[in-house]
Amino acid sequence: MYFLYFDPGLGAMVIQAIVAAVAGVILFSKNLLYKIKIFFNLIKEKEDLFDDITIKDTDIENKSNSDK
Amino acid sequence: MTSKEQHSSSFRDPSGYIFIEDNILKRRILPIYFKQYYKLKKSNFFDKLFKFGLLINHKEVSASDTEIVICPEQIPFITYPYEWSFVQYKEAALFTLKLQKFALENEFSLKDASAFNVTFHNGKAIFIDTLSFDFYEENTPWRGYKQFVTHFFGPLLLAHYHGSEILKLISNFIDGIPVKTIASMLPFKTKLNPFLYSNIHLLSKFEDKHNEDYKGEAKVTALSKKGQLNIIESLYSYIKKLELKEQSEWGDYYNKTNYSDNAFNLKANIINGWVNTLNAKTVIDIGGNNGAFVRRITSNLDLALVCDVDNNAVDNNYRQVKKNKESYMLPFVLDVLNPSANIGFNNTERFSFIERIKDFAPDVTLALAVIHHMTLSGNITFEMSAHFFASFSEHLVIEFPKQNDSWVQRLLKAKGEFKSHFDFYSLKNFKSDFLKYFTIVEEQSVEDSERVLFLLKRK
Repeated sequence: MYFLYFDPGLGAMVIQAIVAAVAGVILFSKNLLYKIKIFFNLIKEKEDLFDDITIKDTDIENKSNSDK
Repeated sequence: MTSKEQHSSSFRDPSGYIFIEDNILKRRILPIYFKQYYKLKKSNFFDKLFKFGLLINHKEVSASDTEIVICPEQIPFITYPYEWSFVQYKEAALFTLKLQKFALENEFSLKDASAFNVTFHNGKAIFIDTLSFDFYEENTPWRGYKQFVTHFFGPLLLAHYHGSEILKLISNFIDGIPVKTIASMLPFKTKLNPFLYSNIHLLSKFEDKHNEDYKGEAKVTALSKKGQLNIIESLYSYIKKLELKEQSEWGDYYNKTNYSDNAFNLKANIINGWVNTLNAKTVIDIGGNNGAFVRRITSNLDLALVCDVDNNAVDNNYRQVKKNKESYMLPFVLDVLNPSANIGFNNTERFSFIERIKDFAPDVTLALAVIHHMTLSGNITFEMSAHFFASFSEHLVIEFPKQNDSWVQRLLKAKGEFKSHFDFYSLKNFKSDFLKYFTIVEEQSVEDSERVLFLLKRK
């Protein structure tokens, strides 16, 4: 159950199927392009200030608490 | 404050609210949220969030049939979205997406995506609204999507096209910049980009259309989890690449200062010495640029607030904080001539800078190379600035550039025919006005420059 204490925007709820479809196409083509670039050795590793979206185990900061 | 009453900033979500008891901030959870709370706790999702440093840690204080009280780790100084630099804002946006993805993978979902749910603590962004997590329901779209666009994506996109000043707009639009406004401010070419078209322009049209659906007749379309993840991931990769167009103006300030390396080092050493003698643990550097002087302080500081009016300086500072993992440094954007006000309902939802800094009461305030800007650009009299500095901290380290200083001369020249009106700008007048509020502990001229440093103690 959701608590509707703010208006999520009906339009915004309806539109997400379209946004997701567009995003799917973009992500797919980017992925493809990435694979092609890797194949031709065109990817240069560069230092990035921001990480990837996926949270990895290496992101654990509180090592002492980690085996609780 | 010892009241058990609901805190004035915590009323939007009926799941619970924060309150202050014996100066400690606590959160009361109401039965409507018990199911979620226990599931979050028992499935160890809370523990996971704590472990990865995503959610502010808390301990359960008491639990009954009518209420659960938790006590979160206390954050000494809260900064609001309209006080973040571009890089910080970007970090908060990416952080929210990351968190939503993580929640989805654990069968939960953020029920909102307010920028006010995030703040900076220990050198990084952290989520502070413990009650924002809800169960994920299969095939439902993300309720926080529109809020994410109006609180994060829209403002960042506008900042990319129009400059970082846009980020301050959110202090007027406390619940996000309206989608229509965002769409109207974007250049035409953004309509040709399918990603921007669907996330902003089409969203604006849909919102317009469904605004008149008073009966709630439209059906919410189903959206698979994969679909929602596509939205989140595409937003992430787009925002990650967003940059400001503006050139750094003050960002490399220290390369164009008017004093020599020698004077810079002398100044840093004097300040470091004084802060060490005071045994100060907390500091605020007003007009602190990229934190260069605070980084030269050798004693162990618990928290150093470093604010500056210039976004690029704060960006530069925050990049260093992130790179060097400096947990004691908290940079933010602040115009000392117009500090953040009390805003929101009853003007008590978000607190003014003055109120927060008085509460925080740093052991020492640094005001280096800032008094001439306040006095000559802002027309703030010495008496007014002395009163201001005396209102929140016991000690003040202030640098006074004398009349012959080249910056001072430049500012005076800009006054044109009114230049003589600013004849009062002198070391003598500065001292006599500041001595109404402070006593002088130390006074030292910086060799090789037209500047004098003072260590003052509040009367």
